[in-house]
Amino acid sequence: MIGTGPLLSVRSLTASVTTRREVIQAVRGISFDIGVDEAVGFVGESGCGKSVTAKALMRLTPEGTSVVLGGEVNFMGQDILAKSEIEMRALRGRRIAMVFQDPMTSLNPVLSIAAQMTDMLRHHTGLSGKAARERCIDLLAQVGIPDAARRLDDYPHQFSGGMRQRVMIAMAISCEPDLLIADEPTTALDVTVQAQILRLLLRLKEERGMALMLITHDFGVVAGMVDRVNVMYRGEIVEAGTIESVFASPQHAYTRALLDAVPRLQSAGQVR
Amino acid sequence: MTRFVLGRLAWMLAILLAVSFIAFAMMRALPGDFAIAAAGSQSVAPEVLAAIRQDLGLDRPLLAQYWGWLGHALLGDLGTSFVTRQPVRAELFDRLAVTFQLTLLAAIISMVMGVATGLAAARMRGAIDWIVRLYNGVMLAVPNYVVATLIVLLFGLYFPQISIFGYTPFLEDPLANIGSLLLPALALALAVSVTISENTRAAVLEVANQDFVMVARAKGLPPGRILRDYLVRNALTPVITATGLKIAALLGGSILVETIFAIPGMGQYLFDSINSRDYPVIQAIVLTAAAIVVVVNTMIDIAYARVDARVQL
Amino acid sequence: MQEEVQKQAFGSRAVKAPRITQGGLLLGIGLAMLAAMLIVTIFAPFIAPFDPSATSPDSLAGASARHWLGTDSIGRDVLSRLIVGGRTTLLITITAVLIALVGGLVLGLLSGYLGGLVDDVIMRVLDVVFAFPVLLLAIAVVAALGPTVPNLILTIAIVYTPAMARVVRAPVLSVKQWDHVEAARSIGMSEFRLVLHHILPLVVSPILVATSLTLSQTIFTVTALSFLGLGPPPPDPNWGGMLSEARQFMELAPLTVIGPAAAIVFATLTFIVLANGLRDVLDVGSV
Repeated sequence: MIGTGPLLSVRSLTASVTTRREVIQAVRGISFDIGVDEAVGFVGESGCGKSVTAKALMRLTPEGTSVVLGGEVNFMGQDILAKSEIEMRALRGRRIAMVFQDPMTSLNPVLSIAAQMTDMLRHHTGLSGKAARERCIDLLAQVGIPDAARRLDDYPHQFSGGMRQRVMIAMAISCEPDLLIADEPTTALDVTVQAQILRLLLRLKEERGMALMLITHDFGVVAGMVDRVNVMYRGEIVEAGTIESVFASPQHAYTRALLDAVPRLQSAGQVR
Repeated sequence: MTRFVLGRLAWMLAILLAVSFIAFAMMRALPGDFAIAAAGSQSVAPEVLAAIRQDLGLDRPLLAQYWGWLGHALLGDLGTSFVTRQPVRAELFDRLAVTFQLTLLAAIISMVMGVATGLAAARMRGAIDWIVRLYNGVMLAVPNYVVATLIVLLFGLYFPQISIFGYTPFLEDPLANIGSLLLPALALALAVSVTISENTRAAVLEVANQDFVMVARAKGLPPGRILRDYLVRNALTPVITATGLKIAALLGGSILVETIFAIPGMGQYLFDSINSRDYPVIQAIVLTAAAIVVVVNTMIDIAYARVDARVQL
Repeated sequence: MQEEVQKQAFGSRAVKAPRITQGGLLLGIGLAMLAAMLIVTIFAPFIAPFDPSATSPDSLAGASARHWLGTDSIGRDVLSRLIVGGRTTLLITITAVLIALVGGLVLGLLSGYLGGLVDDVIMRVLDVVFAFPVLLLAIAVVAALGPTVPNLILTIAIVYTPAMARVVRAPVLSVKQWDHVEAARSIGMSEFRLVLHHILPLVVSPILVATSLTLSQTIFTVTALSFLGLGPPPPDPNWGGMLSEARQFMELAPLTVIGPAAAIVFATLTFIVLANGLRDVLDVGSV
């Protein structure tokens, strides 16, 4: 039931975050589109509202702390903000999946990798236990975990950070989502591992034809990964465009500042 | 891991040794003559006293006395009661079995009550949370012997036909046995369940903020499954440990509660022997109880370390 | 985390009206309860309507205008005994905890500040005391020494010193590595002044909270000992002893039991409320 137009269309989304003392407008009326199998980057400093945006798209805002105040979110022709919690559950993981920032804390320490991968797979697809396991081994191999069949029954603490993020990615793509949101997927990882994970994400996106929403604070990460980029600052999108145009002629002072923060060699390769 | 376990076990033995010395020295520090206390009367012929001294080895150096006493204790000879003139061991073991039953029942009741209320408070928040916390706050201030006394008062005033005192052995009538222990166990359990409830609530709230719970939601799992596999399983490990550590509190509390409900357990035994100044019995009970606490704590430490190795992030 | 960052990014724009926090409220209630209890205790002889030891033929009477809480089995006024009995109970409790506090401070500061072998020895010795269930240890010591007020105070002080020492030691361990302590040491401040001026003030908050919590536990231990017949000797009344004595005839005069029970709960609750209020106001983590 793919509608006409973009896969995801967001119009004047507004969200607030409540801290102990005050209510902050974290997202202030942002609008953007993500096309089918398009990769879009969201760049901005921590606290600019990009993570809140991602969570709002999945309606994962924890009750009482952050609230979507208004706007429209249209995903595959459906009004996300109007859906019930039960309807959202069918969507989460199945149509929109998410890879989180810190692989060290994203996995449940008391469940094996097999249990954590199959619970989602079986819930959404109704596969049998055996078929789900086969599928998980296959997925783990795809994300580059050696000896996947044997590692499946291991616990999270037996994996390194980079390996855990691969597991998280395998989990996220297991139900063949249409949109994968990656929220700072490499920030917590070593530099060498970062590049591997980014290449993996790009490859999977190409192979599976899913859309990718890549959130980062680092322009160096989006370069070469995405088609278009949105620069966020203080809850607003201050600049949007193709990656080439933003790199070549940044309009906003904030974008220029962010670009200056990227090590020369890398950005020099991109800026023609 | 093996190193850790061996270390803990060695440390446990060291503590047990120290505990046994304290239990021994305590009774030698009694004001007055131990032999007179043993004879049970001030007006005893000097020859009799001398005989008692020789018999108890009181004429030997203190450390030699201690080693002798410890050797006997290790072989299961915990001395002879001043009152009954019988070996302490047989009676102590009978009593221990009763207290063990009572403590076990109390532990189960407090665990069920504590986890249920703590979980409800953490998940439902709002009014339920408020009520549970208020109840916990007030109940924390009500000692178990006050609870026991008030239960007795309540039954005495409103259900005088129900007999709530005494104890039926398990082998005689299992159902009556549980029945006779239910009220004492409840009195013992209430205070402990409050702590478990608060611990559970805090642990669940903390786990609820963990990233993997957000991930579980992002996976589209139903709330019941998130609660079971992601929240409770992670929150309960520290709660169970804390409950194990409450075994000392339960043992201490049983002294009072058994006395009130006339349950012939170790607590009542201690109470009676305090009143009759039956020092070998007091000594044996203190030693046994402290040994139980030390051993249980060590086992919990080791068990927790095993779980922790897996949980360690 | 996220929220903190966002707060910084946006600055604080919400109006912060001064309001009574939950912790402040708790602290206020706790202090009021403590003040009420201390006033009644200190002026007990003037407040108590009757001589607590005076018997009368009017035994096991219910509540009346004359005897608000009735009389006990030998006709003594329950309210007067409660008021005067609070003196003994609170005297033992507070004195014992103060001694445990001083002992804990000395041991905890030594252990935490000096570290190394001293720390090891002190902590291992305290571990041994810790191995005993508190009530059991107290029973054993009091049974051996005899139940007099000084013995009770000494026993309770011994029993609670290890816990206090641990509370003191933990923050000292971390505080002593802070920069300002290093700085003070580098300009040649004496060790004693260093501890007094730069370490002690920073560990005061957790110690206050722990002291208050220990007071609530001590009330339990003291009254429990009296309940078991190991309290201060008669005829001076005390709460635990009153509760124990009254059990025999409690169906006839429930107030003789409810009175001391309420007093014990009130005193324990006072210190728990105080501890929680202090914890919130002083922003101490869990102790």
